[in-house]
Formats: sequence, C-alpha cells, structure tokens
Amino acid sequence: MSSPSADASVDEKLSVLERLRKVRYVLYILLFVAVVGIVYWGLGFVGFQAYVVADRFPAMWDFISTGFFPPDFQNFTIYTKDRGITGLRAIAASFRDFGQPIIDSFGSSRQSLVKASLVTLLLGFMGTVLAFPFALILGVLGSERVTPFPFNFIFRGTLSAIRAIPAIVWIFLYIPIGPPGQVTAVLAIATDGIGNLGRLFTDDLEEIDEGPIEAIRSTGASSIQTVSFGMLSQVSRSFIAWTLYILEINTRIAISLGVVGAGGLGLMIRNSQDLFEFQQTAAGLIMVFIVVLGIELISSRIRARLRPGEHSGKGFVEAVRDLFNPKKWLGVGDRQP
Amino acid sequence: MPAIEFENVTKIYGEDTVALDDVSFTIPEGEFAILLGPSGAGKSTMLRVLNGLTEPTEGSVLVGGEEVQGNRSDVGMVFQEHYLIESKTAFGNALTGALSRNGLLRSALGMHSERDKRIALESLQTVGLLDEAGQRAESMSGGQKQRVGIARALVQEPALVLADEPVASLDPKAARDVMRYLKKAATEKDLSTVTSLHQVNIAREFGDRFLGIRDGEVIFDGDADDLTMEEMDRIYYGEGADNELSSDPTGTDSVPDDNDAPNAATNGGEQA
Repeated sequence: MSSPSADASVDEKLSVLERLRKVRYVLYILLFVAVVGIVYWGLGFVGFQAYVVADRFPAMWDFISTGFFPPDFQNFTIYTKDRGITGLRAIAASFRDFGQPIIDSFGSSRQSLVKASLVTLLLGFMGTVLAFPFALILGVLGSERVTPFPFNFIFRGTLSAIRAIPAIVWIFLYIPIGPPGQVTAVLAIATDGIGNLGRLFTDDLEEIDEGPIEAIRSTGASSIQTVSFGMLSQVSRSFIAWTLYILEINTRIAISLGVVGAGGLGLMIRNSQDLFEFQQTAAGLIMVFIVVLGIELISSRIRARLRPGEHSGKGFVEAVRDLFNPKKWLGVGDRQP
Repeated sequence: MPAIEFENVTKIYGEDTVALDDVSFTIPEGEFAILLGPSGAGKSTMLRVLNGLTEPTEGSVLVGGEEVQGNRSDVGMVFQEHYLIESKTAFGNALTGALSRNGLLRSALGMHSERDKRIALESLQTVGLLDEAGQRAESMSGGQKQRVGIARALVQEPALVLADEPVASLDPKAARDVMRYLKKAATEKDLSTVTSLHQVNIAREFGDRFLGIRDGEVIFDGDADDLTMEEMDRIYYGEGADNELSSDPTGTDSVPDDNDAPNAATNGGEQA
C-alpha cells in the first residue's frame, strides 16, 4: 500500500516529466519548422522552381528512354569498334577466341570500355595502395596512445587538412606535376585516401584494449615492438577492412576524376556525351555500375570474413570457396549465430 | 640466493593511498607462493612492483639478486584477463614472449629463430595445447586462453613467473586446469612463481607457501597447515571481526567476491 505522501511525490514527479516531454515536443516542432524554412528559402536562393522541374520530367524521360536505349557497346573492345558491331552483340562478340579481343584491347593504346574499366580500377587500386603506408604512419602517430597529447594533434591536424580538400580539387593542385590525367589522378586519389584512411586508423587505435599492450610490455619488448604487437596486432583486421572500404570509395572517385580528364570510364562517358552518342553513354554507365558493384561485393565479402566471430576457425580454402557461394552473396547463408 | 627479496617496500599512489606499507619477505628459488587477501589489499601492486610495471615509493625489490628496474624479460606475467591478441593464433601469441630476444626488423617481419619457435611449441605442449597451436585465440575458451597466457610467459624463459588472479574469470573446472598446468610448468622448469588468488580452496591445493595481505601489510606467512580458518578470517575480515568465514554454513572454501569483502585501504568502500 502506498502512503498519501508517496502519492504526492509520485504526482509531482509525473508532472515534472510531463512538462519536460512537452518542452521536448515544442523543440522538435521548432526544429522541423526551421529545416523546412531553410529548404524553402534555399530553393528560391538557387533559383529552383519545383513546377519548372516537374514540367521537364516528361522530357527527361523521353531523353533517357529514346536517347539512352538500347545501350550501345560498340566501344566495348577495339575489335567491335573496328568492325562496327553495335548493341549488346558487341559484348558477346568480344568473348570470342576465349576473350582475345578483350586482351588485345587492354594492350592497345586506343580507347575502349574494357580498357577504361581497367584504368578506373587501377586508379582506385594504386591510389589506395599508395595511401596506405602514409595513412598508417600518420594515423598511428596521430593516436594519443602513441604520441602524447597535444603533440598527436600535429598529425591529426595534417590528416584533417588533407581531408578538407576533395580529390577533385587535389587533381588541379597537382597541375604543376602534370595536367589532369592518369598520373595526377593517382596522386590525387592517394592524397585524399591518406586523409580518410589515416583518420579511420587513428579512431580505431583510440578504442583498443590496454591489456594486450601491457602484456606485451611485460615480456620486456621494446617500445616499437609494443606498438606493433600490442597495438597494431589488435587492429590489423579492422585496418584491412577500412582499407577495402576506402578502395570502394576510391574506385568511385576515379570515375569522377575521369570526367575532368583523368581517363577511364569517367572520360569515356563525358566524351560520348559531348558527341551526343547517348547510347554509348548508357553503355558506359552500365560499365560503371558493374565495376563499382563488383568492387563493393568483393570488398564486402572479404570484410564480412574479417569480422571477428562470424567465420572464426575457418581456413583460407573455405574462405575462397565462400566467394563462390551464392547464398553468402545474397546474405541467406549459414551464418553462425 | 632467494628468487625474490622484498626489503621494506612501500608504495603510495597519489597523495596518500598506501598500497604497500613497509613490506619485507623473501621467496626461495622454485617455490610456488600464493598471495591471499581481499580486493584492494595490495596483491596486484606487489606483483606489478615485482615485474617493473610499477616502481616502489620506498624500499628495494630484488629478483634473482638484481634490483628490478623497468620491465624484465626474465619475469613472466600471467594476467587475469589473459590479454592475448585475439586475432593471432595460440602459436603467434606464445611467440610474443620471445620479442625481447628478437631484433626489431625480424620481429616486424614475423621472423623468429628456429629455437624460439621450438620453445613456443614446447611451452604450448607444457600447457596441453600443442594440438591447438594453429587455432586463433578468439575461438578458444577462457581456460585455453589463460593457458596460452602461461605459455607466452614460459617462452620468455623466465626465472620467475607472476600470475595476477589467473583464474578469477574462469569456472571451477577450468580454474583447476589452469592452476594444474601452471604448477606443472613451475615444477618442470624449476620456476619460482607468485600467484594472487581469491579461491582459497584452489590456493590450498596448489600452494607451497601462503602470504596473507591486508591493508598493504603481510599479516600471514606460512604453509597450508598454518593456514587455519582463524587465519583466513584475519586475512579477509581483519582483527576482531566476527568469524564470518568459519561460521559459514555452506562450507569452508568459498571466499566472498569483491563486492562482499570488507573494504581495504585502497578501495575506500563501505566498512561492514
């Protein structure tokens, strides 16, 4: 049985909580009104008129449905380009002689979709590989566990400064080294990658357990050994996972840099657009879709394997076999609880 | 020459938190010594001072006749939470015990001498984990991980092994296994060991010598026969306390866990 005084204090508490709840609602409403207000004002500011856009949508649809379809893969390989094989048949034709036309296209100095895809993949890959050691050094030195505060901010600040500038701006900053092209694209992607990857490394290192570090120190290991075995061993797998994630992002960046002249799929898309060859643009977009999705799928499968617990105790052979297991790709596999 | 000499060791944390208060004792070579006492009594500090993770405020600590200065590779340490690198195999974790014998480049490249690899496998064999050498730590049970922790300490080829509550987070069976392997290793390699323990029954089973610590002082020093229930009460509940332990109807060998134990100098908990 509750006493009258208990009832009174419960009532009091209830009214306080109710009041707080009402204040919270008012704040939510104010926040919502502010967001809507800024968007409305912003639309006017940039000259965005919704009814004009809506009026244009049918034209947009006509443009895509008639201009882009069917996609024309004539530029898929040099072979199909020279023989004028168009449409989807170009893909089938490129796989004759065990894909010899594709291999020939890789070696040719002329542009083709398969070579552009390879260039895009390589730009992303090389940029990531070049970024890794610098990100590792700056990331480790940026951690408060390695470099005492506030000196670690020298390295964290460097990473922030690099990150503040996007890759598409870096490629123009590298103009003294060369015009926007494949060489400067690698540098721009790598620079951008150092900033992003280094930051992820630093954050990871801040969260590791003190225990293993103390255990390694207690064996009489040197301080560099303590950092590499006590600290980096704990995060090695998540570092690999983050690097794969940055590889995904860098592949996309390689495409956008291509549009400004760095070569690869981005450049082919822009060229076909400039020539009003929209069916070839569509083919380029499909290649982008395949390349980006392919990298993402492979990377996400590897990262899933790196997550602790999920596949513990499995051997390498099983891991490779998993890559060919469609159930795994679709996420309906025999995942361990 | 004694394995360990504590001479008037005092350790004060911060301004006035006395963890060890003028402690003196010696432990002869090859002895399996066990530290008993409530949480915060100073057991962990004693072990940390012994392997150089903490420096004493006053007094001197000699291991093998030499003053302890910094971490020493000839003092192996087994931690309560094993502190393994989860992504490494049992073998890889054991090999980290050999780091001090390895140059920076060699260890960074994962190159260990044939001898070190052999010692690592032999150590895993000593703790009964030779077959599991290639298994990752993360897929091992708590008891197995702790045995890898012992193997890592053995790979250091130590003269002295310290264990800080090595079985506190294990179930009774796994705890006995771990202690059995620790004792076996100590006997086979003629090691001196100092282990802090909460489980009095396990302590009695394995220890040669017992040091009872309370409020930073050694208040009991003797063998299993000397360790009567009255002495246990004195160690865990202090002088003149009710004989809670000996009047425990459930038996004689369970000691209350951290939350129930009356306070000690360093944790400032509520006095019973």
